[in-house]
Amino acid sequence: MFQDLAVSYGLVQALSGVSGAFRSGPTGLLGPNGAGKTTLLKTLLGFLAPDRGRLSAFGLDPIRQPLEVRRRLGYMPEQDCHVAGMTAAAFVAFAGELSGLPRDEAISRSHEVLYYVGLGEARYRNVETYSTGMKQRVKLAQALVHDPDLLLLDEPTNGLDPQGREEMLALIHDIATKRGMSLILCSHLLRDVERVCENVIVFNQGQVAKAGEVRELTGARRQVFDVRFKGDGAAVLTDLKDLGAEWREGEDGVRLFLPEGHGPETIFRLAKECGVQVRHLRPGAETLEDVFLRALGHEIQG
Amino acid sequence: MPIYDQGYRRYEARSPLHRVRFWPITREALRLILAKRAFLGLLAVSFLPFVVRVIQIYIVTRFPEAGRVLPIDGRLFGDFLNQQVGFMILLSIFGASGLIANDLRTGAILVYLSRPLTQRDYIAGKLLVPLALNLAVTLGAALVLYATGLALAPEQYLRWELVWIAPAIVIHSLAASLVVSLLALAVSSLSKSARVAGLGFVGLFFGLEMVRLVLQNGFGRKEAVLLSLQADLQALGVALFGVVDRQLEIFWGWPLLVLFVMSLGCLAILRSRVRAVEIVT
Repeated sequence: MFQDLAVSYGLVQALSGVSGAFRSGPTGLLGPNGAGKTTLLKTLLGFLAPDRGRLSAFGLDPIRQPLEVRRRLGYMPEQDCHVAGMTAAAFVAFAGELSGLPRDEAISRSHEVLYYVGLGEARYRNVETYSTGMKQRVKLAQALVHDPDLLLLDEPTNGLDPQGREEMLALIHDIATKRGMSLILCSHLLRDVERVCENVIVFNQGQVAKAGEVRELTGARRQVFDVRFKGDGAAVLTDLKDLGAEWREGEDGVRLFLPEGHGPETIFRLAKECGVQVRHLRPGAETLEDVFLRALGHEIQG
Repeated sequence: MPIYDQGYRRYEARSPLHRVRFWPITREALRLILAKRAFLGLLAVSFLPFVVRVIQIYIVTRFPEAGRVLPIDGRLFGDFLNQQVGFMILLSIFGASGLIANDLRTGAILVYLSRPLTQRDYIAGKLLVPLALNLAVTLGAALVLYATGLALAPEQYLRWELVWIAPAIVIHSLAASLVVSLLALAVSSLSKSARVAGLGFVGLFFGLEMVRLVLQNGFGRKEAVLLSLQADLQALGVALFGVVDRQLEIFWGWPLLVLFVMSLGCLAILRSRVRAVEIVT
């Protein structure tokens, strides 16, 4: 839970009076780079002291009781992290020991967790020789080894190829659903959050733009097209509006959001009826920007 | 087909946090350093002066006339510890310069500080590494040397005028090891590269020693001793072991003050550099 939380890095205000709560189940923190997502995680870990406001985790204050809070948290940072010269098995066991596990138990759990994240065969290799995907997995393993009550994942799919990203998301989904662990997933990728989380908090420029269930935010699936007309495009857009479509002006034409059941053929048909030429039509995907604009509710016309 | 599910198992047996939370940090860092053969070689070489001194004590106790050339007095231990300062510096360059620098480079600092550990635990855990190595080649070696002398020639060592040697060994070794370790760690925290940190450490020690030698020999400035950390440690040894050294003749309180202030400075650097979040203002 965080209330009127303001955090700054020197003169730069990273979070300005944000309030919210993490509901049970996996929660996504969504927003562009610099929106304040990671700052919230770091404040939760007790790395940053708020300028004002309150923050609590498990009913504890991370600033006053950082050790108790951190003990119950698992943190997977965005950037690389490993101890130079250590094998994955030694590194994860070491991380477990630092979290308070007895040495024997830490070693045993290190092997289990490395198997779980798919590094069982490579666990005796030096982490420095790992690929990006493997490094992401070992980061997840070190965050899981002590079985935290809450897992904080900061951009866990960064630098992964599509298959690696899919596997990482499947792993996180498994942790959240089958292992019953609460987690906060920090990402600037809507699809990652959509795939794993039930709830989402959208950050923008240090403020909470929207919070709620993911399906509320994304709404029904819409088809997106970038279109350029020659002629009276406004007439086509008016007809499209009657069908429930939305649009916004893009840098090069119009970005159209068609409701379910409509496709490019609708655009071509209406353009023909209005005597307008379609000069460019490209299918697109809903971007984070689109979701933000929809979350803020007033930019999209229609 | 697996015999049993290699899935994730919840861990319920949570015990209270250990009081000595920094110990795993020290243990693992020592293990990684001592796994390097070159470092083990250096550590072995740093005990060579100890072997030479043992032979010296043996010769003096067996052939009393040799005592005129190699007397058993404070100088023997003072010289030995001053020699060991050089090895301490080498051990710190190769053993300690990467301790924090590597953590900053690989992001491991976040692994440590996101655990139930304080900044103090982290610094203590890392500091114990060079401290243990430095104490082994100074305090450990000097006390064994003293014990060897006692065993071989108790009548020569159990004299009233030599009773202060043991406390002097302890004080000098602790002061020198602590200052060198703190400095090595502070320099290590200033860079993300172990090599750069090592070079910085070398520059700090040998560069300042060169400046001291130039100022002292070229311009006759006795207070130049205070500029060099190595000379400060030697001056402290001279005072503690009652050795006459005209180059290092200075009131012992001054080098002690310099070493104290330097240690405080190192702690301040460590406190500002060991952070999970780097804030640039």
